[in-house]
Amino acid sequence: MIEEPYRWVEAIANRREYIETQLAQGSPIAAVGYRDGILFVTLGRARQKIFEIYDRIAMGAIGHPGDIERLRLAAIELASTEGFTRSAADVSLRRLAHYSLSPVMKTAFEQVYGPPYLARLLFAEIGSSPKEDLFLRIDYDGAIAADGGPAVQSRQRFAVLGGTRQSADLMEAFLKNEHVTDAELPDALNQALDAWSVGRMAMGENAIKDLPERAAIRKYRDEQLGTAGIEAAMLERDTSSAIRYRTLADAEVRQRVRD
Amino acid sequence: MDKPPLALDPNFSGGTEDFPALLRRKGFLQVAPEPVVGSGSHSFVQTESTTILAFKFGGGVLVAGDRRATAGNTVVYDRADKVLEIDRHSIMAIAGVPATAWEMARVLEHSFQYFRRTQLQEMSVDGKVRALSKLLRDNFGFVMQGVGVVVPIFATYDGNSKPEARLYFYDAMGAQFEVTDYAATGSGSPAVRGILYYENHWGLKKLQDLDEDEAVAIALRALDTAAEADTSTGGVDRSGKIFPLIKIVSGEGITTLPEERIAQVFKHSVA
Repeated sequence: MIEEPYRWVEAIANRREYIETQLAQGSPIAAVGYRDGILFVTLGRARQKIFEIYDRIAMGAIGHPGDIERLRLAAIELASTEGFTRSAADVSLRRLAHYSLSPVMKTAFEQVYGPPYLARLLFAEIGSSPKEDLFLRIDYDGAIAADGGPAVQSRQRFAVLGGTRQSADLMEAFLKNEHVTDAELPDALNQALDAWSVGRMAMGENAIKDLPERAAIRKYRDEQLGTAGIEAAMLERDTSSAIRYRTLADAEVRQRVRD
Repeated sequence: MDKPPLALDPNFSGGTEDFPALLRRKGFLQVAPEPVVGSGSHSFVQTESTTILAFKFGGGVLVAGDRRATAGNTVVYDRADKVLEIDRHSIMAIAGVPATAWEMARVLEHSFQYFRRTQLQEMSVDGKVRALSKLLRDNFGFVMQGVGVVVPIFATYDGNSKPEARLYFYDAMGAQFEVTDYAATGSGSPAVRGILYYENHWGLKKLQDLDEDEAVAIALRALDTAAEADTSTGGVDRSGKIFPLIKIVSGEGITTLPEERIAQVFKHSVA
């Protein structure tokens, strides 16, 4: 049946719908640039969702744990062997995404007899200056959306990952208004937690359609913070160590946000 | 069937593999030939032309190494770093063939990070100690061929169970020995071992009770003594102002002593 072209298109469309349904419940992730680096924040109850890939690269993911794990291990493996055989400076997120992850995810998605990757990935790579930072999102079909790179004129210096289109769009809209590039860490944490709340409010049955009022966001956020744990990690620009990735414990985030 | 070469092969998950195995699968790490069993006549030349030493003192573990690299009777380099940082709390100091030793340090450094990144937890100190042991064992085929002998010292700080500095030395086959006080390897090490034994038993203080200045002074004296009789040990080059490399491992991490400070202690307590 797949031999006929329109059948294939139909199969792909079905598959897209299926995957979107699977991903729709994923807790959003916000990545924002701040004064000293890049910050990843999400709230969750069970699984870890923010990971260290290499010295200067971090990843956030939503999707099926098995698929996330395979892609994560592949990314670490590729980066580690590159860093070992050449040098850490030769490991690049752009190459990792464009040459390795995206083609494989696209192929898996389009071969309708095989399983696709049920995962949506958000990467960030910290450069030596904010200009060289790169935010990059890879979807289950291999599509790449990037903020950064040589051809980009205006940078937003943040990126989001949502289970649904609407969730991601509203988070982006929120951060477009609120995000300050050279904010200090507590302010960046605030922005990211608010952005997460907006993304979460745009999911489920009573999903919001437009950006809510600030007070509504805070109210929702406080409710969520009461039951869920905060997962946060950052890529720090100026540290003496080659490894820029550092996790922030739940208590540390709450402490800093309160101060 | 061979394992698939691609990390992204849908049927393969590399999650249970360690980093050297990954490198071998990709052909980036040369596999040593199996040592020939039962040929007792095999003898290999120990070419560990250097001196490195480590001992525990009041502020953690001090690791020191001279800077000379030799090929036969020739001095080829006088600024070699033989005391290498592997991660935030671990130092590997090397005596042996530099090419193999530095490669080994590189593999080790990446192994620890690879483990942390893939397994989402820090490798235990025992795991790290064992990882180096395994690298040495895997390298033994080269040693038996007369190339690539490495005899390292490994110093680390165990922050987990009972916070304390830990110190190990190895033989070329990969046996690891934990020491309570001091370790030394390389061609100049007999003299150093004598000095450290003497200091620990009959010196003014036990090594464990020394402060940093005293510890540095003893390390410099020991290396100077080793250099006196061993041509392969650089000691302190007074004209060229080349000083041994000294690093200290403690709970706060690793500090590399700046040359001015070593020069100061040298002037005060050694020269």
